Amino acid sequence: MKTRILIFAIFSVVLVACQPEIDEFQASKGNADFTKYVAIGNSLTSGYADAALYHSAQANSYPAIMAAQFAKVGGGNFIQPVVNSEYGVLSGKRVLDFAADCKGVVGLSPVPATGTPEGLAHVGYAVNNFGVPGAKSYHLLAQNYGNPAGLVTTPMTANPYFVRFASSPSISVMEDVMAAQGTFFSLWVGNNDILGYATAGGENTQGDSITPVNFFSVIYNGLVSTLTSTGAKGVLANIPDITEIPFFTTVTYNGLVLTAEQAVQLNGAYAQVEAYLASIGVPYQYNFNFQAGANAFVIEDRNFPIAALPKALKVRQIQPGELILLTVPQDSMKCYGMGSFSTAALMPFGIPQNYVLDAQEVAIINNATAAYNVVIKAAAESKGLALADMNSHLRNLKSGLIYDGLTFTTTFVTGGVFSLDGVHLNQQGAAVVANFFIDAINKTYSASVPKAEVTQYPGILFP
Amino acid sequence: MRKTLLVLSCFGMMATTVLAGGYQVRLQGARQTGMGLIGTPLAFGSSSIFYNPGAMGFSKSRFDFTVGGSAIISRMSFQSINSDYTAKTDNPVSPPFFAYGQAKITDRLTAGIGVYTPYGSKSVWPDDWKGRYLIQNISLQAIYIQPTVSYKVTDWMGFGAGLVYVHGKVELEKGVPYNEGSKANLKGSANNLGFNVGVFARPTEKLSIGIDYRSHVDAKVEGGDATFTIPAGVSSLIPATNKFDASLPLPANLDIGIAYQVTDKLLLAVEFDYVFWGKYDSISFTFAQSGNILSSVNPRMYSDRLIPRIGAEYSLNDKLQFRLGAYYDQTPTSEDYFNPETVSLNTIAVSCGVTYKPIENLRIDFSYLQLHGLESERAYLPANFTGKYRSFTAIPGIGINYSF
Repeated sequence: MKTRILIFAIFSVVLVACQPEIDEFQASKGNADFTKYVAIGNSLTSGYADAALYHSAQANSYPAIMAAQFAKVGGGNFIQPVVNSEYGVLSGKRVLDFAADCKGVVGLSPVPATGTPEGLAHVGYAVNNFGVPGAKSYHLLAQNYGNPAGLVTTPMTANPYFVRFASSPSISVMEDVMAAQGTFFSLWVGNNDILGYATAGGENTQGDSITPVNFFSVIYNGLVSTLTSTGAKGVLANIPDITEIPFFTTVTYNGLVLTAEQAVQLNGAYAQVEAYLASIGVPYQYNFNFQAGANAFVIEDRNFPIAALPKALKVRQIQPGELILLTVPQDSMKCYGMGSFSTAALMPFGIPQNYVLDAQEVAIINNATAAYNVVIKAAAESKGLALADMNSHLRNLKSGLIYDGLTFTTTFVTGGVFSLDGVHLNQQGAAVVANFFIDAINKTYSASVPKAEVTQYPGILFP
Repeated sequence: MRKTLLVLSCFGMMATTVLAGGYQVRLQGARQTGMGLIGTPLAFGSSSIFYNPGAMGFSKSRFDFTVGGSAIISRMSFQSINSDYTAKTDNPVSPPFFAYGQAKITDRLTAGIGVYTPYGSKSVWPDDWKGRYLIQNISLQAIYIQPTVSYKVTDWMGFGAGLVYVHGKVELEKGVPYNEGSKANLKGSANNLGFNVGVFARPTEKLSIGIDYRSHVDAKVEGGDATFTIPAGVSSLIPATNKFDASLPLPANLDIGIAYQVTDKLLLAVEFDYVFWGKYDSISFTFAQSGNILSSVNPRMYSDRLIPRIGAEYSLNDKLQFRLGAYYDQTPTSEDYFNPETVSLNTIAVSCGVTYKPIENLRIDFSYLQLHGLESERAYLPANFTGKYRSFTAIPGIGINYSF
């Protein structure tokens, strides 16, 4: 009898589960329909990275990452206008590599990649990703935006990236979008309406003025009305504060590092310039002040009070909050005195205006960004759409975002989010952004779309 | 037939894992393991060197030798909380072992030595798993060597004390956030000393009581080897080879148990083990080069835990004994500082065992212990790493005892 009890007891011990199974994640589409997802936007949406649209970055564009997650809640195929080349559609791709600067110092920096551009051959199929690098809000409505003939006109009336997949030469991006009959959409436009101005240093030399807010509002509300006219649901994203992206923050205003001796020399040189100006009857106090350590760079001053002077003399030191662009010629700064004083010309050598956003320009950008975001928020609210607040997310990113042991910041290269062009996302950054979208979608549509696993996407490739 | 069935039912299912609390492994005797790892109130021969040196003198024989070991077969599962991502460990079998020998020098004085492995952990996560920046794989082992003397103050009470020499080895790998496959490998060893003291009493024929205290030991790695597999582009920041210091606490234990011989055939026992895990509040790694980038202090925030155990032994005849046991081991880990290097969950454990004595002086003890780490959502906040964990461990064990 006792033995039987013992047997029974031992059996009950043994008859317990052997594999540690955890209940599966309960994915749900909520009240959205992801059957056919279409993504509308610009370079960020296309998967453009490292100053190029190339194969692997496109494969992990944020819409492609989102679509892979949507597939777990009923989403269908997501077709992109595939770029086969790792070099890209057009030339310009950057890679991280060792390079010597003008002083012969070898360091790690983004350098031009080697390769042959794939060119603009039409992909020959319909797509779901309507991200067109370079597109501003109103370009999405432009007829002939994908017409190859428009690439050789002056000014260009077509976009080379849209030429690759426009269903006909005359059609607009939005017409193609609506023909795709998406059940769910994402719309992230407006960035280029401001960015073009900003990356030109605020100089209106290439026709890159900021799209006026009233005009943007009309265009944007038109886009959203069209997209929702079929009953489709979607997610909008607002405009991040672009003055916080590495393109504008990497070269700091006070990056002029001097020894005590160099500071004395510079102070002396500018005293002489002042003395010269006084001698020709142009009294102007530069108020230059250089000391050992970090100093504010010298920039060309757009608003110099005395206009009738040679350009080289109309300079001042940059103020905190004013920005220097990533594209500023580093060798000129390191070896030829740009940003301080040209020893060759014995003249002040300010950083040219097209590499600088001064306080006025920064204010114009910030005001436009804020105004655009009011328009975008109102559109989301009036149509009941999800809104990914990229503006707040980027601000939070500044102080660091930790994901599964990875720390992301807005720092160039090492921050892990931005690619080597300092504007666009790298693939891990795209996954981070995809999750911002998914968060907004889950909240608005009571869905449980599984988040993308950021650690499963590559970051910047080191040599 | 019945016997066969019993044996089969106990060992037929050698399925799958264990580490109960933290990285402690209390598999220092197959007979004790069969009874839910109870050993403090039991005088089971030379394995008392670990469980309670005070009981050594209660062996009936002049000489007593015990050797044995176990195979820890463990599986741990991870499930992300906001995605469908899952991962499972592919842990190698971990083999804790023990060997004891003791001799009565006089009727009252017994001396002995034991070699055993009370702490260890082996976890191997998939190469690309999402927690790789916390831990990729880890192997931790501490070997204790304990010369011991025990003195029977009276016929019914003895105490014993042993000096413990600890040799610890650790090797761990984790991902480094550069190109795919970038990782750090840390390898080191440590030596230190501790002690083990116990009192054993048998106030009546049927009742025995034991108290044992094993001291805290710090396994201090000094000048361990760190190897970084990283792209050349970052080698100016992080040298490929480096040295590191770290210290892992091996916590003290205070065990109290009571055993009662209910009938000639049935022995029942209960035990309470108090483990001083609270000492483990953080682990720091200090690197000789690039210390400003690499060195880190990592919170662990463990808490002291009390483990209750019950066990029974049934002697069918002169040749066969059967055992059963169970315990509940509450994890010492913190909810917010749970690192997958040690997947220690609240654990329900059940054990069984069987002994066969082919001849009078020889016993062969088989044990089987099964641990169920209960599903739990845990986070490692410094890395913002959250998920649900569950574990399962199966540990077959064997011990051979010869006494004369």
